[in-house]
Amino acid sequence: MPRQVLEDNLTADSIAADSALAASGDATAFERLYRTHVARVHTLVRRMLDADEADDVTQDVFIRAWQKLATFRGESAFGTWLHRLAVNVVLARRKSVGIERGRFIADEDPLGKVSGRPHTPELSLDFEAALARLPEGARQVFILHDVEGYRHEEIARMLGVVPGTSKSQLHHARMALRRHLDQ
Amino acid sequence: MNDQWMNRLSEYLDGELDSTERAAIEEHLATCGQCYAALADLRQVVAQAKSLEDTPPATDLWPGIRAGLTPARGAGVSRPGPARSRRFSFTVPQLLAASIALILLSGGSAWLALRQGPTNTAEPVAVTRPQNSRDASWTGSTDIAIGELQAALTQNEKRLDSATVRIVRKNLAIIDRAIAEARMALRSDPGNAYLNLHLADTMRRKVELLRRVNELAAARS
Repeated sequence: MPRQVLEDNLTADSIAADSALAASGDATAFERLYRTHVARVHTLVRRMLDADEADDVTQDVFIRAWQKLATFRGESAFGTWLHRLAVNVVLARRKSVGIERGRFIADEDPLGKVSGRPHTPELSLDFEAALARLPEGARQVFILHDVEGYRHEEIARMLGVVPGTSKSQLHHARMALRRHLDQ
Repeated sequence: MNDQWMNRLSEYLDGELDSTERAAIEEHLATCGQCYAALADLRQVVAQAKSLEDTPPATDLWPGIRAGLTPARGAGVSRPGPARSRRFSFTVPQLLAASIALILLSGGSAWLALRQGPTNTAEPVAVTRPQNSRDASWTGSTDIAIGELQAALTQNEKRLDSATVRIVRKNLAIIDRAIAEARMALRSDPGNAYLNLHLADTMRRKVELLRRVNELAAARS
């Protein structure tokens, strides 16, 4: 067996073990889960919401995960379960702060205030900045679809829109980002 | 440029058009330079999205999370209200995975102790993890321990004679094959207790072998 495959399997085993230990009340095991997954969760939250909220919401995600660990049955990977929980927390947060569905209507020039740069090694930083300036709806659909890999049907259910809206928002986001990359 | 097709480039890119629409847009792309260029750009945007990397928060959020896990009680942390009296049930694989993790952790601790010098190599390896006493160097999950043990072996191999290295590699290959076979069998019968125990035992043997070889190499340094 290739070493990398073996290590991946061992990693999956150790995460499964830690989730079982954490579910029985082992905070040390839960801390290891936190350290393994915090970058992914924090990045998701930061991209989906404002950067200012990212720390608080990430903490909330992990506290909720701790509270709900008893319901984690291990059918899916812990990371998948946690990620979905994070998406739900983010969407609930978005709802609670009164972001209206009207925000899904595309702006004329969502990236007008983002200065473009030629392609450089720092392109991903520019891309993140451009992403942050997208309208709320387009940004969330783009992140969920192109970054996180959800399908339009899943996104539509999560956001309470029809799949067609998800598709058009995705295209809008891509075209906006394309214009930025072109500059 | 045809807006009708320009607006459907993402669907085309994602393979969501039916065969008739796909044929029509491909016919259009063959003659429309703007749509063709836009499609190339959209591909680049999608590729860029997939290559975005996760970054950790600027500050450690764990203290705040730890404080929110309800007050500590004894060595562990108590669960909130109703969950406290809840009966937890784990599958055989989960419990075995937990035991494997403890074994791996002990192996990792041995390696960490090994790196501190020869005087520590005789330290017995704990079977269970000490409560509330995380090694400061042990900040990651157990995969780091295994990774370090294997990385250490790669480094330490040169301190060993070639015959020993050959035997170690041969035994590791046998163990890896046994692990692979056990995993394959478990895919079709995940709840099989014998297979799970066999896998746990085989993995324990691997950790022990890695640990012993590293000890041997350290003693020769």
